[in-house]
Amino acid sequence: MNGIFEVNYAAFSVFAALLVTEIMGAVGLLIAWPSRSKVLDYIVPVWEVTGTFGAFWVVTGDFAYPGLLVPVSEIFTPLLIIFLILWVARGASIAFAEFITKRGWLDEEKLFKSYAVATVVLGLVVLVLLSALVGGQGVSLASGSFSIISWATAGSVVFVVGTLLLAVGLAPVLFDLPALRNLVLPSTGLGVILSVLSYWLMSTTLLTPWMGVPVLLTLAVGALYAWRRTSKIVTNKAVFLAVLSVIIFSLQPLVYPKAVGQALPIDAVTTTGAMADAFFSITVVGGLLLALMLSLYVAVAARGPSGPGL
Amino acid sequence: MSIDPGSMLTFARFLFAFTIGSHILLVSTSIALVILISISEFLAIHRHDPVYEALARRLSKVFVISFGVGTASGIVMAVELVGLFPSFMTLVASTGAIVLLYAEVSAFFLEVLALVLYVYYWNSFRGRYSHWIVSVFVVAGTLASAVFITMVNAWMNTPNGFDVTVFISSGFKTVTGVEPFSAFLTVSTVSQVFHVLVTTLFAGTMVIGAYFAYWFVRSRDAGEKAMYSRALKILGVIAIVAIVLSGISGSEEMGTLLVNQPLKYAALDGNTVPGTNLPDRFFGSVVNGSYVGGISIPGMQALLARFETGVATLPGLSQFPPNTWPPLIVSTTFNVMTVGGLALGLFLFAFFVSFVRKRRPYESRRFLYIWTPAAVLAMLVYQLGWATDEVGRQPWIVYNVMTVAQAANTSDALLVPGVIIILFYLAVIPATFYFYSRVFQGSNKEATA
Repeated sequence: MNGIFEVNYAAFSVFAALLVTEIMGAVGLLIAWPSRSKVLDYIVPVWEVTGTFGAFWVVTGDFAYPGLLVPVSEIFTPLLIIFLILWVARGASIAFAEFITKRGWLDEEKLFKSYAVATVVLGLVVLVLLSALVGGQGVSLASGSFSIISWATAGSVVFVVGTLLLAVGLAPVLFDLPALRNLVLPSTGLGVILSVLSYWLMSTTLLTPWMGVPVLLTLAVGALYAWRRTSKIVTNKAVFLAVLSVIIFSLQPLVYPKAVGQALPIDAVTTTGAMADAFFSITVVGGLLLALMLSLYVAVAARGPSGPGL
Repeated sequence: MSIDPGSMLTFARFLFAFTIGSHILLVSTSIALVILISISEFLAIHRHDPVYEALARRLSKVFVISFGVGTASGIVMAVELVGLFPSFMTLVASTGAIVLLYAEVSAFFLEVLALVLYVYYWNSFRGRYSHWIVSVFVVAGTLASAVFITMVNAWMNTPNGFDVTVFISSGFKTVTGVEPFSAFLTVSTVSQVFHVLVTTLFAGTMVIGAYFAYWFVRSRDAGEKAMYSRALKILGVIAIVAIVLSGISGSEEMGTLLVNQPLKYAALDGNTVPGTNLPDRFFGSVVNGSYVGGISIPGMQALLARFETGVATLPGLSQFPPNTWPPLIVSTTFNVMTVGGLALGLFLFAFFVSFVRKRRPYESRRFLYIWTPAAVLAMLVYQLGWATDEVGRQPWIVYNVMTVAQAANTSDALLVPGVIIILFYLAVIPATFYFYSRVFQGSNKEATA
């Protein structure tokens, strides 16, 4: 077991779970603007936290894999820069949207929809990056390059479609939309099947018995929502986020012990020695502080929002 | 058609300079805003003053925008560093500098969680002071983030915590003798953090103050004027304290340079040759190895240096190989910074005297008309301060260890996305400041309605 990988991957899992829920909400804003209140109640206090976990994942990644920074820079910089532009667009438009009052052509709806478009496209860019990190499609480690044409294999495309179907299937659970209850299990089931198929298409070695854990957990979320008496369990936002984080965390065999189509052994590029010790020390201290802050957050948030304090 | 690596190196330098120059506009105003919010809320509770209360509430909306765009921009810089200067980031990630970035993200968590509680759960706290304490956490998180990121810059100026000789002789492949936590305290950390914090606060305070000065002069609504006046009163006090501390810390910073980065010191002060009784020079230039033109104050530089550090012989450029000299424009940027700082000091001294004489300078049209150009000057001085620090370290990215050219990714694949980032920032930064104003004024209308 590689503890440093586990910490970095845990940070990624929480970040990815938060981002996925934002993407679910963004799709909701685009296709069902009139019923936006359920989505905004969730997204508005959370989007800043998503960004912070994103920064946390990037920095722990820099710390964990110093030797990877040069190849990552060579291979993914154009894609990362597109990601960054979308990231700023997302942050700026939702920050503006939250407090805008209508004057002229620009209003809350246009800004929230800009946020939604930026977030959905951002999600697609992230899926391209992730599928390349898992299967190695489009990546040439030898020449230090990435080709979107080479990336577009059956495995990659099915990976993207499968993940999107999962997001569509689970969105009604997160936002508790009983009208879409019947969509949940079929869409989630199909998403699971396509996701597993994409892993098999990328490399048969990716399919291990461990894959049963995320599959069962994902289906369990859908099933719990489908049954009215248990739906309250999974529509709780904290529970949903926690389970989604665990699902993503349990997908780690896709990139560990080897990533990028089995070409990159993670242990060989992980930091060691005094830096590894420092990584653990600061993780413990930072983790305790974070736990304290989150406890305070949960305690106050449990009393319910009191408007945007304004 | 491919672009030569030299041009891409220049582009990489420009792109990052542009990004960080834009980013610190947001950072400086954020720091000033969050401190203003916290003080306003404290005064609102302490004095039972609804005007301060309204000010804190309205500014907290603006701060959310500032935080949202600033955070996104910060992440852009973190990832851009990996893309533009990968060898530098590899060194950072292999030494204590990454521990500072890790600590910075922890501070960031403190800031974001406290901010969410502060803004979105304003009325959920049982006591008013409990809510105000959360604002102190937001301030602490914001300032700690700034402190840790400045520590990284201090480490770039005076790197420590690894074996430099082995690292260079191995062709940047082997990092040994790592002491991960030593980066928290390099020889330049204390003076640089002190100087950066107070100057950042000062620049942001002046910019936010200019906004209130403009609206105070323009508004005819007595209630609104009362709010702008209160904001200006707080900002005036902060600006006076910050300019005094900026002068003290700037002097301290020059002392640190003199001892630890003598080449940079010589370039900033335009010392072509070493000497014991050197003058302070302003706005001249180095031509054929001699400093010509401008104004000189005989013996002043030597006097100040001896007072600050006890060093009698000051360094000169001739002691160092010319290929290690920074661009000598830093002497001019340093002069503009110093003279601009003095001019701002004079303005605030007059403000202070008027304040002491109970003339209410924060409501005086004469002072408020000057405040706006003073804010422009303050931001210029602040930006030039960073430019002087960074250009003054050239050609090094990590002083005496790695040059910018050695650190950079010169792939021409960066060109198009880089240009898009520049265009994007050109739109986002003015939009952000426009929205600051629109949201603040919009809250006004909501409150009045």
